[in-house]
Amino acid sequence: MAALLQVEGLTKHFRVGQGVILSHMNKTVKAVDDVSFAVEQGETLGLVGESGCGKSTTGRCINRLLEATSGKIEFEGVDVRRLRGKRLRVYRRDVQFIFQDPYASLNPRMTFGEIMAEPLVIHGFGTRREREQRCKEMLAVVGLSPEHIHRYPHEFSGGQRQRVGIARSLMLRPKMIVCDEPVSALDVSIQAQIINLLDELQKEFGLTYLFIAHDLAVVRHICDRVAVMYLGKIVELGGRQEVYSSPHHPYTESLLSAAPVPDPQKQRARSRIILRGDVPDPMYPPTGCRFHTRCPIARFPICSEEEPPLRSVASGHETACHFAKAFPISAGRMTSGDAHQQDPFGGFDGRPGGNLGDFS
Amino acid sequence: MAEAPEQIPGERSARGAGTDSSMGRPPLSIAESVGKGRTLRGDAWRRLRKNRLAVAGLVWVAIMVLLAVSADLWVPRYLGDPVDIDTTQAASQSLQPPSWDHLLGTDRMSRDIASRIIYGARASLLVGAVAVGIMLVIGLVMGAVAAYYGGIWDSIIMRAADIFLAFPYVLFAIVLVGVMGGGSPTNVFLAIGLLGWPGIARIFRGSVLAVRENEYVDAARAMGASTPRILFRHIMPNAIAPLVVYATMSIGVAILAEAALSFLGMGVQPPAPSWGGMLSEARGYLFTAPWLMVYPGIGILTTVLAFVLLGDGLRDALDVRKKE
Amino acid sequence: MPPLMEVDDLRMHFFTRDGVVKAVDGVSFALEAGQTLGMVGESGSGKSVTALSLMRLVPEPPGKVVSGDIRFKGESILRMSEKEQGRLRGDRIAMIFQDPMTSLNPVHRIGRQIAEPLRLHKGASKKEAWGAAVELLAQVGIPQPAERAWDYPHEFSGGMRQRAMIAMALACDPEVLIADEPTTALDVTIQAQILELMREIQARTGSAIIMISHDLGVVADIADHVLVMYAGKAVEFGAADEVFCRPLHPYTWGLLESLPRHDADDGGRLSPIKGQPPSLINLPSGCAFSPRCAYATERCCSEAPHLVEIDSGHSSACHFSADKDFLNRSPHSATGKL
Repeated sequence: MAALLQVEGLTKHFRVGQGVILSHMNKTVKAVDDVSFAVEQGETLGLVGESGCGKSTTGRCINRLLEATSGKIEFEGVDVRRLRGKRLRVYRRDVQFIFQDPYASLNPRMTFGEIMAEPLVIHGFGTRREREQRCKEMLAVVGLSPEHIHRYPHEFSGGQRQRVGIARSLMLRPKMIVCDEPVSALDVSIQAQIINLLDELQKEFGLTYLFIAHDLAVVRHICDRVAVMYLGKIVELGGRQEVYSSPHHPYTESLLSAAPVPDPQKQRARSRIILRGDVPDPMYPPTGCRFHTRCPIARFPICSEEEPPLRSVASGHETACHFAKAFPISAGRMTSGDAHQQDPFGGFDGRPGGNLGDFS
Repeated sequence: MAEAPEQIPGERSARGAGTDSSMGRPPLSIAESVGKGRTLRGDAWRRLRKNRLAVAGLVWVAIMVLLAVSADLWVPRYLGDPVDIDTTQAASQSLQPPSWDHLLGTDRMSRDIASRIIYGARASLLVGAVAVGIMLVIGLVMGAVAAYYGGIWDSIIMRAADIFLAFPYVLFAIVLVGVMGGGSPTNVFLAIGLLGWPGIARIFRGSVLAVRENEYVDAARAMGASTPRILFRHIMPNAIAPLVVYATMSIGVAILAEAALSFLGMGVQPPAPSWGGMLSEARGYLFTAPWLMVYPGIGILTTVLAFVLLGDGLRDALDVRKKE
Repeated sequence: MPPLMEVDDLRMHFFTRDGVVKAVDGVSFALEAGQTLGMVGESGSGKSVTALSLMRLVPEPPGKVVSGDIRFKGESILRMSEKEQGRLRGDRIAMIFQDPMTSLNPVHRIGRQIAEPLRLHKGASKKEAWGAAVELLAQVGIPQPAERAWDYPHEFSGGMRQRAMIAMALACDPEVLIADEPTTALDVTIQAQILELMREIQARTGSAIIMISHDLGVVADIADHVLVMYAGKAVEFGAADEVFCRPLHPYTWGLLESLPRHDADDGGRLSPIKGQPPSLINLPSGCAFSPRCAYATERCCSEAPHLVEIDSGHSSACHFSADKDFLNRSPHSATGKL
């Protein structure tokens, strides 16, 4: 069966600098570079990575909030990038978006009722009364009181606003929802409420989620499959279990080890990989494997010379590392609290490290 | 929204009104605090009322407007005509200090100053309103075009705005008087209105650009909203608030400019009453009849101040996000 | 000997036009040299205001310390003169802020900003202070510190800026380092670097650290003592292992239960705390957590509990924390999950 959403070779370049006259001096940032993945009907695919890895840009390209530079986006077999006019509107009905910031994503001059009814108005559904009825129902579905329909966003807390954002995305009974960091602006206890709500809604409405987040724990909780991004590329893609319990890419492994767990005893016992330096400037990405400047295992010329393709390491589990199979990291080389180990392999000299220093 | 109602998607599916209970979600505590639907305008009014200075400004403006509008009904009868000279007693009545007969005194031509002040207010408010109206029309269009089309249009309009900003309005008024002949309130409207639009255009452009960055605009686009809908439903209402403030204050500034032009003889022409003109006439009597100068001066000061205070209060009151 | 820093029933209220905001309403803890105290709580729980109060950086008015005391080495900071407080601040007690972008001055060179406290408190000459600044930059792991000291803040990345902030805080060898969400604005791999750096610094200088964070993982990682805050009050205080593995207060249970984990499968559904945090102007009567507490009784709604020591060094502000049966009902003991 074909996937609900199929993304192939998606690339998005941004031009930086605003000269019309000196336009040849403008730089391009490859925010998303040749990204491919598929989302199956009814599943949740997580896109994780640090800021600037291109995960949000990917989501926005899929929703046509941004126009992709190249690549193919197919939804139910239809080429999304070519849609215009009415057919684009139909597509937007099927694919909704939940935004990160519950303060900026609701128009402060509209009531909850107006905000939620807007998708229905735009697509010409229902009479005024029917729409109001639907809004009230939907408020109840997301756990708010139907009387809130005449209230304004500024009277509510972040969690409650986010519920309205979610309700709005459900009004048209979409097939898929792109969730862009929907819980990262919320407090812990509220975050759990929203995650549960998203879980329930998925079951109830048979939704498919593309879930974009930087929080590894949230992604593990809510996603069936996970794609890890670094500097505009997917470095690892696989089922939740495989990616979290046997990561094959050193970046995934480092990311997991860097995020602390809320249990001091376990946290002390965990292995720690402290990556050196910062994420390189996406305007000047490193040659070869983009991660090689910070990689704890990169030590071969090939890492800085040749870009590793996404290769299958197990069924449904792909990774983009030259040594994914040769050096399964989780096999214990970097484990057992080697937090202060400066240079496990030696021979880092002469690697193109840019302005990065040894921070560990 | 008169579109043919279509069935709301999913309406007929098994799930209907009873869904919330089936999901077993804990009830939210906020539900208890639900009040009656409050309107944004009501909230803004409440906030404005809390600001005493703004209320004072509003009251003063209201008094001025009321006096100016109703002047024809009672001022000539009770206070005396602001223009025509009562020849029978002209000599004896000129330059009278304030008394029961003439509350604010009389001027050189025996005209009642209270009456002239009220008609002067009429001229000032009219100039303020019309000039700001002209500013708004030009400024809104220019600002919207610059923000929406961007690129070369943005550059052209904004550079034009810079040039207009650098143009001294007194000079411009002199040119207008030269071209159109004779001083008249029209010159004043045009001088102030034509030169004042860059401020409006800049503010509107800036606030449109800022509002456009909000995620709710993206959200509307993601829903498939048309460009006009996004502009008029999401961008405009949120971009206009700072303009209301600026326009209110501009009325004060326009009144000041009118007074200055009239003082220099390029605005409202004597014998028609205007505050600037009255000040000009009073120049020669600074020591012998100081009330000639004091009352129009107070009129200008208080009215301009009232508009500025009101604008300042509106700034805080119109901020939706501001909690009470 | 008195503890290095001691806070005793601190209450910092803000008197605003809309009412009294009880931002901090009864916080007590003690901190010894070399210890790391983690302060956790959600937004509005008063953890940042507590930190600012320790530095005497809360603007007064509208803020006012209504009661309580803050003692540094047994001496009350509240009763010190402005001048003495100024001497303490930045010298003996230093602070790191959340946003390194706005807390560094964009028009001064990094080196000069780090040298500033040295010139202020130690009376160092310009040249000495600059040399010390370069040395400090090296200590916090900035490569080529002698050259980078000439940079302006915008030339540093977020992680490097936070390192520079730490260097500035370290300039005078403070005895207490207060870090207010120092890693919240940073990516997780950079966060790990900064936490590692703070651990190193503590091992080297023996200073005490107060780490304020909403992230329980960060606190578990770095703190040896934990103070849990809710609606301006300290609800639980104890050694980190105790608080995380044998929590006494239902709010702490709720927090731990509502967290998804990335190191283990949590099996389906999270157990969030119901409802919303209360408004600090209009706190519920009795225990502030009672409207959201699954175990609340009538007593909880009428009588406010105090922070009471239950086990040695482990205290909780719940009427039932001393009740063994009650604790057995906690999700932690029932499932043996932790």
